[in-house]
Amino acid sequence: MNLSIKDIYVKHNLGKFLCLVSLFFTLLSSLYASDFDYHVEVDKTNPYLKESVLLTFDVNQSNHDMVLLFDFDLKKSESYTFQRVDIQEKDDYHAMQIRYTYLIYPLKKGSITIAFALKQKATTDESVAYSFSGDRDNVKGLVTKDTDILVPPLRLDVKALPKDTQLVGDFTLEYRIKSHQAKAYEPLPLEITLHGQGYPPVLPHLLPKDTLFTSFTEKPLIKSYATITGTQSTVTYPMALSHDKSFVLKPILIKAFNPKEQKSYLLSVPQQAFSIAPIHTAQLLDPVDVPPSSTVDWSWIAHLFEYLLLFGAGYFTAILSQKYPFWRRSKTALTHPNPLRQKIAQAPSYKALLQLLLAQDSQVFIPTIERLESSIYSHPIHPSHTSIPLSTLKKEALEQLK
Amino acid sequence: MNEHIHTLKKELKKSIIGQEGMIEGLLIGLLCDGHILVEGVPGLAKTSTINALSSALGLTAKRIQFTPDLLPSDIIGAQIYNPKDHSFSIKKGPLFTHLLLADEINRAPAKVQSALLEVMQERQITIAEETFILERPFLVMATQNPIEQEGVYALPEAQLDRFMMKLLVSHNSEEEELHIMRKVANKSFQVIETVLDKETLFSLQDALQSIHIDEELERYIVQLISATREPQKFGLDISSDIMFGASPRASIDLYKASKARAFLRGHSFVSPADIGYVIHNVLRHRIVLSYEARAKGMNSDEIISKIVETLPIP
Repeated sequence: MNLSIKDIYVKHNLGKFLCLVSLFFTLLSSLYASDFDYHVEVDKTNPYLKESVLLTFDVNQSNHDMVLLFDFDLKKSESYTFQRVDIQEKDDYHAMQIRYTYLIYPLKKGSITIAFALKQKATTDESVAYSFSGDRDNVKGLVTKDTDILVPPLRLDVKALPKDTQLVGDFTLEYRIKSHQAKAYEPLPLEITLHGQGYPPVLPHLLPKDTLFTSFTEKPLIKSYATITGTQSTVTYPMALSHDKSFVLKPILIKAFNPKEQKSYLLSVPQQAFSIAPIHTAQLLDPVDVPPSSTVDWSWIAHLFEYLLLFGAGYFTAILSQKYPFWRRSKTALTHPNPLRQKIAQAPSYKALLQLLLAQDSQVFIPTIERLESSIYSHPIHPSHTSIPLSTLKKEALEQLK
Repeated sequence: MNEHIHTLKKELKKSIIGQEGMIEGLLIGLLCDGHILVEGVPGLAKTSTINALSSALGLTAKRIQFTPDLLPSDIIGAQIYNPKDHSFSIKKGPLFTHLLLADEINRAPAKVQSALLEVMQERQITIAEETFILERPFLVMATQNPIEQEGVYALPEAQLDRFMMKLLVSHNSEEEELHIMRKVANKSFQVIETVLDKETLFSLQDALQSIHIDEELERYIVQLISATREPQKFGLDISSDIMFGASPRASIDLYKASKARAFLRGHSFVSPADIGYVIHNVLRHRIVLSYEARAKGMNSDEIISKIVETLPIP
């Protein structure tokens, strides 16, 4: 709430007082550092417990000869909780302007202080250029000179809530019961949804404590987002009830307080009666899949004999294969002739033998290949070389194979 | 054999024992302006070979160990901001060299592999707005380790195609290993001296043009490559084992590599044996096996062998 002097004069007395307090605080907190100034503003200084307070923190760079960056956040405390709603940045050349917007929820009544953490990060144009230069996968770290700025804490005077208030804000309640009839111990699903604006309506338990039935609960499903007008929430509580005889769910009453209208109201689920059909326990036994055992199971003896037979077969095969070569497959395999050996022996011509040896891509055949070549093409380098008999060359190649 | 090649091989043998296949592959790559992919377990003198070759030829050599966190700018270079005079200067990466050992290329992600392979193809590097033409010769020897396949980025087929040859390097023989062990223990490896200069190397590259290749052999090369695409046309029952055959780049590389191989043997013409010597190295990374073939435990070398064995040599 940024008020002008004109506005202050036209308000009623209470309004005048509150605005003067706000203005005083605004002026007090507008402290100036050498290279920048900052400005803290809140929309109220005496909220109710768990009522949202909108805080804006503006930072404006005043020294335009340097590159300034900022880190700002609220310090955590048990006295309040907060959500960052927005950051607006206007990073003109050497004229950084940032507006941080927060929603604060006081958690303790009386006087509380909101503490800030502000860090000034000074750097140079060269450092920025260096950090962005080169390969995009190889971005260099930006070198900055960091200075912690001391910002005076903000004081809030928090008003207490009316007695037994469970929710703060403007909420509605919806509930859904799928059925009011069930068999004994069958679950009866019940779903309660709280929807509205204010402090997120997360309650530890909703059902009355002194109940005869059994209740099954899950963690509530929370959908929540913060805006400058407050936090919008939808909290769903999935539950199930179960009992062996008919029962009544007493009314669920939630006392809520709307700080804007400054009045309390009740959210409720009216009394619900559930009708349970009893089941005879004898009918629950499964007579098909788990029949009573009537005979002694001797199948384990058959299994034992199977294992002994398999073991014996393996054991004797090993002994036989050692004693009689007939059992050894590997020996049989070794007696097979090398196919290349056969091919060399059966090569019908010089060219066929040359082709065969070239296909092997082996250095060992190089001397034979060269002799074959000179035999086929009458190599001009060795004009005196006479043709070598094919059988000699085959023999030579076979020897190289060993 | 060409006198220069003989001198170069003799010089390399001062520090490299065995590994004739790798040395020959590198020389073919160097003569044909191609790049080499090497697959083999660690410790097979890959770095030593590159260093020895650079010393013998008076060239610069660099090594990049590819890792998963490597970035393109780490290999090609980057613009660096200088805060003192508010200017940007270019810091050249290790790709600015003659011979490059790209160790374990499949450990780096695709963007780094692409950066390297683009440079291999274009032989130029662009940093910011400036383009640098790489000095000749420029040869990349990339390595892959076949035994560790966890956490690797396999090279796509299109990129593998840019390597002229894929060499499989195996361990030395027992005799060679004994020799290496004694030499290392006694620190008796001789210093490699520069025996050839760049100009001589260029003249050797030019000499490669004069190696004769018969038209019948040219057709044989084309048929070998066609057989990887349409094996049934040549009476081969391996159609179901091949998903994709070799590209036209394979024909070009096989042609060039055969010529280089003939040159290294001291011949003035290409013989079918020269083609047979290099065909496995040129094609093994260019044939994509079908799922069926992989399930049968086949590899591309077996396919190439079948093709060579079946197609009649001129």
